[in-house]
Amino acid sequence: MNRRRFLRTAAGAGVVLGAGPCPFLEELYAFGPSANLSDVEARYYRKLPDREVECVLCPRNCRLGDKERGYCGVRENRDGRYVTLVYGKACAANVDPIEKKPFFHFRPGTTSFSIASAGCNVNCRFCQNWEISQVRPEQVRHSDLLPEAVVAAALRTGCASIAYTYSEPVVFYEYMYDTAVAARRRGLKSAVVTGGHINREPLEALLEVVDAVKVDLKAFRDGFYREYVRGELKPVLEAIRTIAAGKVWLEIVYLVIPTLNDDPAEIRDMARWVREAAGPDVPVHFSRFQPMYMMKNLPPTPVSTLEKARAVALEEGLRFVYIGNVPGHAAENTVCPGCGRTLIERYVFDIRRLDLKDGRCPYCRTAIPGVWT
Amino acid sequence: MAKPKVIVVRVRGILERSGDIDPARLRRAYERGIRALTGAASLDEGLGRLFRPSDRVGLKINTIGGRKISTRPEVALGLAAAFKGTGVPDKSILIWDRTNRELRDAGYALSLGSSGVKIYGTDTDGAGYEDELYAKGNIGSLFASIQSRFATASVSLALLKDHGLAGVTAGMKNYFGAIHNPNKYHDDHCDPFVAEVFAAPPVATKHRLTVLDALLVQYHRGPAYHAQWADRAETLVFGTDPVATDAVGWRMIEALRAAHGLPTLAEEGREPRYLATAERMGLGRGGSDAVEVVEEEA
Repeated sequence: MNRRRFLRTAAGAGVVLGAGPCPFLEELYAFGPSANLSDVEARYYRKLPDREVECVLCPRNCRLGDKERGYCGVRENRDGRYVTLVYGKACAANVDPIEKKPFFHFRPGTTSFSIASAGCNVNCRFCQNWEISQVRPEQVRHSDLLPEAVVAAALRTGCASIAYTYSEPVVFYEYMYDTAVAARRRGLKSAVVTGGHINREPLEALLEVVDAVKVDLKAFRDGFYREYVRGELKPVLEAIRTIAAGKVWLEIVYLVIPTLNDDPAEIRDMARWVREAAGPDVPVHFSRFQPMYMMKNLPPTPVSTLEKARAVALEEGLRFVYIGNVPGHAAENTVCPGCGRTLIERYVFDIRRLDLKDGRCPYCRTAIPGVWT
Repeated sequence: MAKPKVIVVRVRGILERSGDIDPARLRRAYERGIRALTGAASLDEGLGRLFRPSDRVGLKINTIGGRKISTRPEVALGLAAAFKGTGVPDKSILIWDRTNRELRDAGYALSLGSSGVKIYGTDTDGAGYEDELYAKGNIGSLFASIQSRFATASVSLALLKDHGLAGVTAGMKNYFGAIHNPNKYHDDHCDPFVAEVFAAPPVATKHRLTVLDALLVQYHRGPAYHAQWADRAETLVFGTDPVATDAVGWRMIEALRAAHGLPTLAEEGREPRYLATAERMGLGRGGSDAVEVVEEEA
């Protein structure tokens, strides 16, 4: 692939993700190839002797010599000073329905100004956005979009929130953090879509400035994480616990991959753990796998498998369990756990009906947990 | 089965006090190395046994370490010049690495013209990466089009260094610079990633020769440059068996470490396991009994 073509493909993240880049952004910020990466000092690292550094942002704790980059590919040791190369470098910027993240209990029916930089701190074999997550920042075209500009664009496009998504926002932590601070000053919320590989200290600081976090829990077996994610399960569970213990809204997505993480016993263990660690009100989305990236040898998840997973999770006491990537499935809807009536009717990312009053079921007055306004 | 041959050419005094390289000694080193490796009577004949006049030859160098610890321009240009008598025209030789910035930082002057030896990075407009993801085993990567399309024959003109994660970086790992995502392949001491990248057709079907630039060897705390652990070994290593050549490089690193009172890489738990994996995959032979090492002086 020549560079121009590659850049075009990479910039097509919006296409890959199902929505085009915001048209006015194309005009304003003129996405284009750029070698001018940022040189903003990273906030979580330790200086070591001989110009080495240890990144302490995520559980990888990469130890790097001069000129080396971390596993994420977007943080570099420059003569003993550790910098992020992607501060203000948005390789994707779209206006998305919040349901696309998916968040189902967080400002339903609103749009979220969604940004990403290149890079990721894991390497899932089934990544849907590998064209931006598994590349280095030089290999993807990006826009210079500093935090205040992100906020301005979100306000201009009528978004209720800013979402840090598509790739892995932990790797553009400083950019996300500063944008969230600026967003809050202007009355916008912030929603993080993450795999949850982040150390406790930066996570706790982040939770002070954002409003919602969706964690992709990719399996409930460490072996799966090591083989197919190139990560570890334990730190993700620790991150979920930390988030659940705070004030930020939490949802969990579990991508069900045929034969690899769809064993009902694993689903049961996961659901039981979520109930105990995060509570029964945390929405859990079982998403349908589609073959892609390095995992094209498996079929899409049968809907019956997703339904079985959902049934197991409900049996274990989770109260809001959804099925994703199956357009028109009844389990896209939010049902009142008190009276069984449908309160939010969805079709893919559309809200067809929203029947809540002050966060409660209008029929039986059961409180429905979430961030509704 | 004949043992693979690896030629270790010591060129005492090639590094001048200023750090410059004596070009005459360098030429002699190439001549000694290639002749001993191929059994040919001359450098031209030796290279002619490895390359056809119709080949487009990619010289993959390593410039991540900047001017202090990269494949030296004199070494790369010297090898390119050695092709003069082989019938491979200059314009069919490309000295390359990942980015033009790294090339410049290492002291290379870019050369993108239609005549003469070319020097440029994968990020040059018109180069770039392949469209299609190569996905096999643990690898999911886009190959640099220089490696996959331009080159019909490939030389890994690599720097020999200690590597904190891989143990040793040499000729095989140098091809990490031919893919778009090397940062993803440093887990588990780069094993089996180094071997699997090398086994991919854009590399395995084109690799003809490894030359290790061991003029200045970072034998500890690499791959970054640390003057206190860099040795003026003044050596070039030649081999057509990529595993054998790197294995000899590894032994050189161990010898330097021992001489400076450092533990072995195995004692530090970071011996280059990818070499054993590569051997199991049939990419070459690395055991000390399995390799014929020929030492030369130039």
